[in-house]
Amino acid sequence: MSDLLLAEGITKSFGTTRVLRGVNLAVGRGEVVGLFGPNGSGKTTLANIISGLVFPDRGRVLFEGKDITRMTMDARFRAGISRTFQIPNPYPSLTVVESVRVALLCGQAARQPGREEKAGLEEELDSLLGRTGLFAQRFWPAAKLSQGCLRRLEFARAISCRPRLVLLDEVFSALSAKDEAELVALMRSLHREEGISFLLISHNPLILEELCDRVVAIEDGRVFWEGMPGDLARYVPATNHAHENEMHENG
Amino acid sequence: MSPLAQVLVDGIFTGASYALMAAGLALILGVVKVVNLSHGAFFTLGAYVAYVLEANGVDHPVAAVVMAAAIAFAFGVFLGKSFINPVRSHPFSVAVGSLGFAILFEQAAQMLWGPHPLSIDLGAPLATLHGVTLRRWGVISFLLSLGLAGGLSLLLSGPWGLPLKLIAEDEEIAGSVGMDVEKIRYLTFGAASAVAAVAGALLAPAMAITPTMGRVPLILSLIVVIASGMEKVWNLFFLAVGLGLLSNVSAYLLAPSWSYVLLLAVICLLLVLRPSGLATAGPGRDY
Amino acid sequence: MKKSEPFRHGKFPGVLAAGAGVLLLLPLAGLDAFLLNVLTLGFLVAVYTGSWDIVGGVAGQVSLGHALFFGTATYACALLTSLAGCPFPLAAVAALLLATAAGAAVGTLSAPLKGPFVALLTLALGEAAHEFILGQTFFSPQGGYSWGGEGGIPVLLRVQPLSPWTAYYAALAFLVLSTWLMLRIARSEEGLIWTALSGSELSARASGVDVLRYKRRAFMFAAALAGAAGVGFAAFVGRATADDFSLELSFQAATFAAVGGRGTIVGPVLSALVLHSLLQGTGIPPAGRVLLYALALLLTLRFFPGGVAGTLRDRVRSRRMVAPGKEGNR
Repeated sequence: MSDLLLAEGITKSFGTTRVLRGVNLAVGRGEVVGLFGPNGSGKTTLANIISGLVFPDRGRVLFEGKDITRMTMDARFRAGISRTFQIPNPYPSLTVVESVRVALLCGQAARQPGREEKAGLEEELDSLLGRTGLFAQRFWPAAKLSQGCLRRLEFARAISCRPRLVLLDEVFSALSAKDEAELVALMRSLHREEGISFLLISHNPLILEELCDRVVAIEDGRVFWEGMPGDLARYVPATNHAHENEMHENG
Repeated sequence: MSPLAQVLVDGIFTGASYALMAAGLALILGVVKVVNLSHGAFFTLGAYVAYVLEANGVDHPVAAVVMAAAIAFAFGVFLGKSFINPVRSHPFSVAVGSLGFAILFEQAAQMLWGPHPLSIDLGAPLATLHGVTLRRWGVISFLLSLGLAGGLSLLLSGPWGLPLKLIAEDEEIAGSVGMDVEKIRYLTFGAASAVAAVAGALLAPAMAITPTMGRVPLILSLIVVIASGMEKVWNLFFLAVGLGLLSNVSAYLLAPSWSYVLLLAVICLLLVLRPSGLATAGPGRDY
Repeated sequence: MKKSEPFRHGKFPGVLAAGAGVLLLLPLAGLDAFLLNVLTLGFLVAVYTGSWDIVGGVAGQVSLGHALFFGTATYACALLTSLAGCPFPLAAVAALLLATAAGAAVGTLSAPLKGPFVALLTLALGEAAHEFILGQTFFSPQGGYSWGGEGGIPVLLRVQPLSPWTAYYAALAFLVLSTWLMLRIARSEEGLIWTALSGSELSARASGVDVLRYKRRAFMFAAALAGAAGVGFAAFVGRATADDFSLELSFQAATFAAVGGRGTIVGPVLSALVLHSLLQGTGIPPAGRVLLYALALLLTLRFFPGGVAGTLRDRVRSRRMVAPGKEGNR
């Protein structure tokens, strides 16, 4: 299996609304795939299905050859798929370092920690925080971080247990140019050094162009285009207007 | 006709009163975003108002309803302003505080009227159909409940419901659009408490009036709100009527204490089995 | 745990040590047996309330049926010693196991639910148990006695009745040990995960936390401690009654904990001790007690929304932390 992740025939309805109609999506090892689409296209639901927040009505999700369609989100995290959320939900009463520690502890659940492991965990924690630029703020209450730092915290959590695939849900949207640039650099270095595959969900064609090897465009619950990011602007002229509107809305 | 028919009709009327309570609770849960454990106390308040009025010669349900609503509204606004609003940063404490108010009221009622069950004379029935007696309290509660359900349903779907929905969605946005969120909160709390008292005043002739009589209606309205969600007003109405029927019929066929156990069993089953269509989203706010 | 983490836990060691010292010496001040008994019961109530805080405060699963675990333990002790003729220590162990099992059951059933639903389910389960027990009648082995309902079932200790002093110190030791245990676990990795899923279940799941499993464990630990308090109560009072399952007792755990400061462990333990002692130990008539208690509840929460300890902890926190926005927060 050369594909890391394979989603086949994903169909999902909420009540009477058909949100996804038979979507197929694949992510290869070491690939950065973009998922593009306007609000309401179903891309968030697809992301939720792939990450385990929601189960599809029909279709299946295969990860490294295994069927994970009904696997819970936490089990997927331990199996190597993690995700960030568009709106981060920091723990209201934990510090930054504690928040990441939770993820490290649970990823470790499979292994039996001995004394050396415990010390190793603290080092891993520190290096993780350093990597994501949160070391200076590690004792701050997580809830008090700025947007940019919250997105980094999401990153830290998502990569803490050596995932093979990370879903980034609009992680670059509504950030200052500086924050965005730093986050992009972080993602690039993770991709380069750890070989992590990414599924990048965004309504911003520029970001997708910059970062992705391949882009899948979704509209109305169906994949209607798939190709090179450079061709995105040409093949989806209609959605450029939708994108412009969203830019206005999101500020 | 068999006494069962009477039980059924009374059950529907009882359920209609519960629907009133549930609607109030749903409003509080949705707009004020509080799990209100004092709702049962307001129900009891309404019942005692009706009792006091009747003891002083005022017999008409409408008088009882109006008095109960006025007093409960005043108390509700007071509670909303002095406690619910200031403490809202800690939803758990608000819930516990509302419980505290309920305890306070139960104790006060016991001190004023004693722990023994009191009763209100049912008075002349409104009509008798095929051997089934229709009482004033029952008819009024049914009509009121229907009216409230319809009114709320229209309100929420129409333009006037937008302020409430906005507050339910996002208070910050509501505030920034110039809405006096604080005021709407305590007014809603007062209004919903008034509705609970109305339910109590209407149901008083059919029940034994004790200080703790509001507990079961509270639990009942909680389960109704949880099971039907806050938006679906008609679901609320029908589920409440259904539960009223169930509780009356089971009390008649088995025994009153069994009726309570049955209610508890229904709650457990609903929460454990969570049939689809049950509000999985719920009040949306974890403690 | 790294010691440079003052944020999550208040530092109360001084207060606790002082408090324990006072309690240790109190009987020497010449308290009469009645007051000693009030305090002894207070120690048990404090453990019961602290156990609520484990599941309701630290793990955030508000339970309104905590008396279920307490009553299970007292009834197990009573039934096993009086009906089955078990020696008390054996009955105590069985009671603890049963209470823990009840915790596992309740935890499993309520784990998929959120906030208010958990409260409602636990309330229903607690009340169902209460109603069930109220209706049960047991017959003494010698025949001639029928037990059950409100009269309750006696607990046979088969030893010399303990003197008030012995009971006092035994209960105090139990309180100190249990509080230490609860604080240890709240500050451990388990407690960290409980706090996480209390704060944001979504983030916890996305961090690999098996939410169902951890919620169940919180319930089990809390139930075990509540059961232990129940065992102590059964031994001390000598009787198990249906009130041990009552709604009032369940509510009491939540309200005492709220006053103390949900999630702080220390707050609930101390507030339970203080409130219980004040309400039972001073000469207020029962009606007045409830009234006073409800007023105290409302006033305390109005001015200390997070409970006494909770609000204090929040104030200390906000003064201690470097204010984000001042340095390096972009």
